[in-house]
Formats: sequence, C-alpha cells, structure tokens
Amino acid sequence: MRAAELRQLGKGMAFISPWLIGFIVFTLLPVAMSLYYSFTDFALLKGPLPVGLDNYRELMWEPHPRGRFGDPHFWNSLKNTFYYAAMALPAGMLVSLGLALLLNVRLFGQAVYRTIIFLPSLVPAVASAMLWMWLFNSKLGLINAALMSLGVKDPPGWLSDPRWAMPALAFMSLWGVGHTVVIYLAGLQDVPTELYEAAEIDGAGRWRRLWHVTLPMISPVIFFNLIMAIIGTLQVFAVPMIMTGGGPARATQFYTMYLYDNAFSYLKMGYASAMAWIQLLIILALTAVAFWSSRHWVHYQGK
Amino acid sequence: MGLLLRQLRNTLLGLFVLAAAVLLVFGPRRSTRPPAGRVVVTYWEKWTGTEGAQMQQIVDEFNNTVGREKGIYVQYLSVSNVDRKTLVATAAGVPPDVAGLWDAQIAQFAAMDALEPLDEMARACGITSDYYKPVYWKACTYEGRLWGLISTPWAVALHYNKRIFQEKAEAIRKAGGDPSRPPRTIEELDRYAEALDERDEMGRLKVAGYLPLEPGWFMVHTPFWFGASIYDEHSQRFTLTDQRVIQAFQWLRSYSERLGPKSMTDFRAGAGGFSGTLNPFLAGTLVMEQQGPWMANYIEEQRPSMNRWKMFKDLKRNEKLAAERKLSVEERRANYEWGAAPFPPSDPAYAGATFAGFDVLVIPAGSKHKKEAFEFIAYVNRQEVMEKICSLHCKNSCLTKVSDEFRNHHPNPYIEVFENLVSSPNARAIPPCPIWPEVVDEMNSTIQNIYLLNATTEEALREAQERLQQKLEKFKERQAQRRRALADARR
Amino acid sequence: MNGAQSKQAVGGAPREAPLRRPSLLRRIWSAEHWMVHLALLCISVGFLMPFVWMLLTSVKTIEQAMKFPPEIVPRPFVPENYVTVLTHPKMHFLLFARNTLIIAVLSVLGTTLSSSLVAYGFARIKFRGRGVLFAIMLATMMIPFPVTMVSLFRIFRWLGDNGLGQWLGTYKPLWVPAWFGSAFNIFLLRQFFMTIPEELSEAARIDGCSEFGIYWRIILPLSRPALAVVALFTFMWAWNDFLGPLVYIQDQDQYTLSLGLQTFQSMHGGTEYHLLMAASVLVILPVIVLFFLTQKTFIQGIATTGMKG
Repeated sequence: MRAAELRQLGKGMAFISPWLIGFIVFTLLPVAMSLYYSFTDFALLKGPLPVGLDNYRELMWEPHPRGRFGDPHFWNSLKNTFYYAAMALPAGMLVSLGLALLLNVRLFGQAVYRTIIFLPSLVPAVASAMLWMWLFNSKLGLINAALMSLGVKDPPGWLSDPRWAMPALAFMSLWGVGHTVVIYLAGLQDVPTELYEAAEIDGAGRWRRLWHVTLPMISPVIFFNLIMAIIGTLQVFAVPMIMTGGGPARATQFYTMYLYDNAFSYLKMGYASAMAWIQLLIILALTAVAFWSSRHWVHYQGK
Repeated sequence: MGLLLRQLRNTLLGLFVLAAAVLLVFGPRRSTRPPAGRVVVTYWEKWTGTEGAQMQQIVDEFNNTVGREKGIYVQYLSVSNVDRKTLVATAAGVPPDVAGLWDAQIAQFAAMDALEPLDEMARACGITSDYYKPVYWKACTYEGRLWGLISTPWAVALHYNKRIFQEKAEAIRKAGGDPSRPPRTIEELDRYAEALDERDEMGRLKVAGYLPLEPGWFMVHTPFWFGASIYDEHSQRFTLTDQRVIQAFQWLRSYSERLGPKSMTDFRAGAGGFSGTLNPFLAGTLVMEQQGPWMANYIEEQRPSMNRWKMFKDLKRNEKLAAERKLSVEERRANYEWGAAPFPPSDPAYAGATFAGFDVLVIPAGSKHKKEAFEFIAYVNRQEVMEKICSLHCKNSCLTKVSDEFRNHHPNPYIEVFENLVSSPNARAIPPCPIWPEVVDEMNSTIQNIYLLNATTEEALREAQERLQQKLEKFKERQAQRRRALADARR
Repeated sequence: MNGAQSKQAVGGAPREAPLRRPSLLRRIWSAEHWMVHLALLCISVGFLMPFVWMLLTSVKTIEQAMKFPPEIVPRPFVPENYVTVLTHPKMHFLLFARNTLIIAVLSVLGTTLSSSLVAYGFARIKFRGRGVLFAIMLATMMIPFPVTMVSLFRIFRWLGDNGLGQWLGTYKPLWVPAWFGSAFNIFLLRQFFMTIPEELSEAARIDGCSEFGIYWRIILPLSRPALAVVALFTFMWAWNDFLGPLVYIQDQDQYTLSLGLQTFQSMHGGTEYHLLMAASVLVILPVIVLFFLTQKTFIQGIATTGMKG
C-alpha cells in the first residue's frame, strides 16, 4: 500500500475504532463463544462440559417413539413463530404501506393523522402488552363487549383459546406499524414529481400510477422494511411473554421465549446457545432469499 | 403565532429536561438504608403487601435483638419471580445472602450446586430431624443433606361455604348429600359440585360448586388424593402412567367434560382472581375450593363479614380476636360462614392426604455472609418466632412441638384441621425432582391439554411421561459425566 | 442521494401534483379527498381507542373496571389511582423512573457521540476495506440478541470474578455497549453525512484542519436534525427496553420502569387493572410528551436521512 493509502487507512480506522472494538468484544467474541457453548452442556455455575452435537441432536433429530424427532417444544415454538410471521408479516407490510399511501395525500389535518398512527409505536412493550391483555379479556374486555353488542353470541376466548391466541397477537402487532409507516413516508417524499406528471400525460389513472410509478420507486424502501420485518418477527419475545406466557398449552410459545426459558429458568445454557445459532441461521437464510429475489423487483434510482 | 408556539414548545422542553435533571439528582436511590457498622445480610423474599409487612416485622425484631448483639443487619427486599431471579443472580456471582424461595426450588437448586448446605450450622444450633414434622424435614433435604429451613409451612384443604350449603340444602339433599357437613369422598364432592352449579340467562356459568381450575395452584399434585404421586424418588422415575395418576387427572378432566372447557375459562376470566375483592370464593360465585390456611386472613381483609356470620358484626379485627379468646373452637367456627375440612380422597385408605407445601429460607452458593445469614434463619426457626410468623401469616406450624396458645388462639379457627393433616402419614410434600421447573412447565401444558379436551388423559400423560423421563435421564447422565470429568482432572 | 431535495420534505409536501391545478375549493370537495378522510378517520379512531380505554380504566374503581358490559364513563371518577400508583409499595415508581433515566441518558450520550464518530469514518474518509467493514456492520443488525445473550452474561461474570469491575448487578451491561456505536444509528448518520458536499471538507483540509476538526466543527453542527433523531430514537428505545433489564437486573431496587410495570401483573391472578392502566399511562407519558415537543425535528430528521440505499 502506498503511504497516502496507509494514512487514509489509519484515519479511517481511528474513527471507526469504537465500533470495531465494540464489535469484537460485544459481538464477535460472544457469537464465537455461543457457537462453542452450543456444543457443550453449560449451567454457568460450573464449567462447560463438551457434548459434541448432542444439543443439536436433542433439538432436531433425536428419535422418539411414534415417529417423532427432536424436542417437540422446539418444533412447536418454531411452528408458532412461523405461523405468527405468516400472519403478521404480510398484514403488517400491506397495512403500513396502505397507511403511508393514505397519509401521503395532502389533506387537512394530515399531521394529526400521522401523529395518531405513530403514537402506539412509542408505547413500551410491557404497557402495550398489558393494555391489549385487558382489551382481549374474554369476559370483561372491550373487544368482546363490542362483538357482543354487534350481535356475536359467543365471541372467542382470545388469549385463553389456543385457536385464537396467535391471531389475536398478530392483530395486535398492527397497532405498532407507526415507525414502518414513517419510513415509507420518507421514501414516498423522494419519488420525483416528473414521473407522476409524465404518467398522467400518458393517461394513466390513479391505480396505474400506483403500480407503475410509486411502487417501483419505493421498492428499495419496501425491501428495507421487509428485511427489518423478517428479523423482527422471528425474534418476538416481550409481548407474548407478558400476555400469555406461552399458553394456552404452548400455543403462543415463541422461539425466543422457549430459548429464554431454557437459558434462565432451566439454566441449560448450552442448549439455549444451540437454539440461538439455529435462529441465526434461519434469519440469514431468509435474508439471503430476500436479497436474491430483490434482483427481480427492487429498482434503485441510482444516483 | 408560529413564534409564540415555538417559544411555548421550547419552554415546555426546557421544563421537561429540568424535571428529568431534578429526578436524576434528587431522586430516590434505594428503598431502605442499612445502619453503618453492621454486616448487611441481603434477604430477597417473595412477599409483598400485608404478608411482606409481617415478615418485615420479624426482620425488624431480629435486627433489634440478635442483630444488634452480633452486629448483623438484615435488609428485606421484596422481589417478584424470586426463584428465577435468585438463580440468575447466583449464576451471575451476585446472589443475595438469604433467599426466600418455595419448596419446589430445593431439589433443583441443590442439584445445580446453587445452594450452601446447612447441616453443620443447623446441628450446631440444635436443629435436627426431629425438630420438624417428618413430611417437612424430608422435603428440606435432597440426597441426604439439608439445604434450607422453613419460614412458613402450609397445607391444602377443602374450603366450603356453609351459608350457601344451607341455602341450597334441598339441592344437596337431592344429590344424596348432607348440607350440614362437607363432602367426605371425591365422588361426593362431585355430586355436591353439580348440585351447587348455577347458570345465568345466557347459559353461562354464574356460580360454580367446585372448579379444579380455581385457584388451580395444586393441580399437579392432584394424584396425592388418589394415593399416588407423579414422581417416585426411590426409583427416580416419573409415574404418570400409574393407574391412580391417570384416574386423578381424569377426575380433573371430568369437570371440563361436564361444564365445557370454554365456560370454565370464561368463568375464570371474569372472576377476580385471588387477591381482589372479586375472588370468587369470597364473592360467593365459587362454593368449594382447594386452599390453604391463609384464607382466614384473606377473608378477614377482603370480606370480613364472612368471619362474622352470627356475632361481632361491628368489631374490628383485633377486637374480634380478643373477643374470640373467650370462646371455644367450636363456637368460633360456628361464627364463620366458611369451613375447612380435609380435601376428600378417592378412597378412605388415603384419608389425611394433603399437599404439605412451604416457603423456605436458603443461602445461595457464593453468598458473602453465610454465618450471619444462618443466624437469621436460625432465629426464624425458634419456636416462638416461628409460631409468631405462622400466626401472622395464618399458616400452620412445621415444628413437632406446637404450643397450646398457637393451637387454640390461632387467627384461623380451623387450624387444627391443617395441623392434623400435616401430621398424618398420607401427607406428601413436593417430589424432590432436580428438573422440577421443566416438570412444572410440562405438566402445566399437559394439564391444559387435558382440560381443554385436546387429547385423552392417557395419551397426554403418556407423552409427558416419556418426555420427562427422558429429560431426567439426560440430566443424570450429564451429572455423571461431570463427576467423571472432575475426577479425571484431579488425577 | 439527493439530500437537498429531501430537505424540503417536511410535513409532507404534495408529490402527486396534477398538471392543471384545480382551485383549492375544487380539491376539497373532490370525492377522493373525502374517501381518504373517512378511511383515515376510521383508522385513527381504531388506533386511538386503546389509549382512550387505558385512560378511562385508569380513573375507575376496580369494581367498575371489572363490570360487564363495560361502562364508558368512570363513575366514580378516581384520579387518586395515580397517587396510589406513585406511592405503591410494590412499585417504587420514582425510583424506577430514576433508574431508567440514568440508563437512558448514558445510552443517549454514548450512542450519539460514538455513532457519529464512526459514521464519519464510514462516510467521509476513503480507506481500504471501508465497504467490507460497512457491510459487516450492517450484517450485525441481523444477529438476534439470544445469540449473544448467554455469552455476554458469561463475559460480564468473568470480568467481575477477575477484578475488572463488577458488571452484573450494575447498569453497565445496559449502557456501556452504547458507547461503542449502534449499527442502526451509524447507518442513519452515515447516510446523512454523505449528503454534505465534499467541498466543505476539502476547503477545511486545505486550511489545515485535522480530520477530527472537520468532524467536530463542520459536520456535527450541520447534522443537528439527524443527531436529534438519533438521540430521540435512542432515548425512547432505552426508556422502553425490556429484554435487556430482564436479563441483567435482578435486584428489585435497580428495576427500570418496564420491569416495574411487570410486577403489577400479579402471579396469583386478579391483576388490579385500574392501577395497572394508571401505571402504564405514567410510563408512556414522558415518551409521548417528548415526542410532541420534538415532532418537527423528528420528522424532518427522518426525511433527511432517507432510507434508500
């Protein structure tokens, strides 16, 4: 490297050194350690005991009677997490995009509407969970009261009914789309007016303008939000932990909740580390799929 | 106008920041401050509210007597989820010196080496196995060593509402029962329960005769009243497929089959839960329930009229206690709208069956003041102190010696019922299983599956049996591996 | 990245302006206008409903709160619930608020300073491997917390056992990592820094200014809106954080508001909903007030940093 390059490298490194040090100490080292722990039996009170692939085996492929493999709670929590994601992800994306489009139309009181939509995403998870727990109360809650007043004779038990608990949680997640909407709004501002004008000259109506101008132009934003949503949805923890504790009958036990229980209730930290690594790999795989597919539908403006 | 708004906004922002700064600098730091010059023993305990205040009283007395003598100060801190918090804090290397846990933690924590053994310190104080009633002493030990000493013991009995029995005397007699006494067998209990159920106009359950879900704290121990347990410590095997265990959970399920699972969960959602005035037993919407001796206190606090059925209607609690001193136990009981009796077993051979639980004081491993911590634990276990706290908390005693004062003037006139139960050979304590938290979680979801009618009782129990046994085997195998690794390292 | 163009986008300038501008009156009376209004109105009511219900429940008695069918108007009106919450033995509200504030302030200071420093390095200094390191940094956003949770716990315990300072049992695990930069905020600030014209830096360099000087005296002052957004985001995140305190704080005297709120959830069932709602209102209030007071900066900052790229 030439001297000038070396100097630049020095300067650059100096500035990013806080992140670099933090990355090594708080990210790289712990990730490597957790990989190691995933191959041990570790209860923190004594040293880790190497057990090879046993944790992974116990989680995924250890044979049990009646053709079952691995830890049923692991598979159940994985299924629950994906079930939730299948509902919350598309609904969240559609609702937040739709809201952003609505909020982008110049209206009287636009700022008020935007504030109202954004407000719930400021609420701490704990408060939000308790509030919705109260709203979903099958006997005294507002939701069932409203349903009954509309004539529904036997409204669902929501959080105490295994069939309705997860849909209830997915519905509740829509309340917090505010920050996603804000990001969409920022993206919508950046769409150049000339394109709309050109489309209108060509005779395109509102819906065609949406499909052919707006969406492609904000596709990078959609992509960003999609990645963030995937990462977030697969890590859901606080809200269901407080609202249902995983019940009824583990119908709402999310992956991270089971992980947390293994780590801090049973002190099976090696087992929990194995679960964490599997979670990481799943997220990476899904993100990779998203990146690969982005070639086909994401258009960068390219400046 | 815009300028004015902006100035207003800036002022408010300034005020906001000022308030934050004030809070930071002058805000509260700790909830209590220990005096200087004494060894501070941190004591994490689960009790809040009245029960917490009562324990704080004992702590204060210790601090003013033995504490002052020996230079010890016990700092009482009320902690939620105290079991998990203590475990994590111990794993983190910063445990409290004394922790007030539940009986369930003894086997698990001891097996994980998270506790200090207390044998020597106890022996030096004269606390040996004959100091406690057998069922309690055994439950404080694991693999032959002593790991904790009790703070307050209790047991489970049938609580029933005598007034409602009288009101519904006809219905009870029609079901073949006797409204002047509680049911004596499980089969009788079911008949009483069905006769006492009431529904509202919409067909929903308004009053329940009995609901296994309410309060639902002891469901995992249901087999005790059927002469069995879910775990056998001698063979270290789970016994979930034992006929009697299946029978026990089938009984539990029968309520769901009769009432419908949704009506049970709806009833619970609308009920007030334990500690409010809308506790269903207090509100009269639940006629019989499985509860502990503390009910007398809770009823006194939340619905005192139930303890003044015939007399003393206008007396406050202390005055009533004083007035009751002049009465016999039978007269005291007659004045209570509710009664306690042994929870009926499935067969008279299991008479006296109960779940003997307790709150226990332990010293976590790594505690920095073990000797001082034990001074406090030993103090709590003196007969007069133990009887005092048990009296305040309205619980029975775990000691073999029980004073007449305690028996006859306990705030709960039915305390003799509990004392007899915990002295009976059929009394059982929590099974000493080292993977108990996993057992609880597994049993909870299994029981939910059973009463939600998701699977048959046998299927659900069989699956739980396989899973739990396998987990236990793995746990023991790992322990053995560790011991071998340790032995190898030493060579 | 066209920052100058985006800077105009405060509060939502129209981007769908048609060719012929109909009169204002014509626009207001158009059907589309009213349909959008209606939709937004309904949605807003839906979004606000839970808040309203929370407020109403917080001033009722427990009996009225537990009534079915639910009654809307609190009768009696019990603002004393708020006093009960503030003096409640189970939840030392002010103590928890102070604890949360300490963590939040330290996190905000650390994040803002370190993230801006690092973002400057990524944005304004061309050096070998910059792209790779930036990509690695972005990738770290994908690592779920559970992966590092247990190891961090172990590391912190090791530090305490070996005399390098007690971490567990203190707040350090919650705010010290903030002083080493946060990937999300570094990303935000880097995008923003890249919109500042190079000529300014060039001119300063020619004048003999050090790189750090440029950062401190030129770039930072120009980045006030973006820095404000970072500070606000971080404050709100720290105020609302639950998992971090749950894992690292065991001593009840050190609880944050999120943990404290959870203690209201009674283990024995029978949650005192009226008090719980009042406590929730108190916990939410500072964040909402702060948001209202800084709204303009907030929205402006988000628009200027832009999310494309």
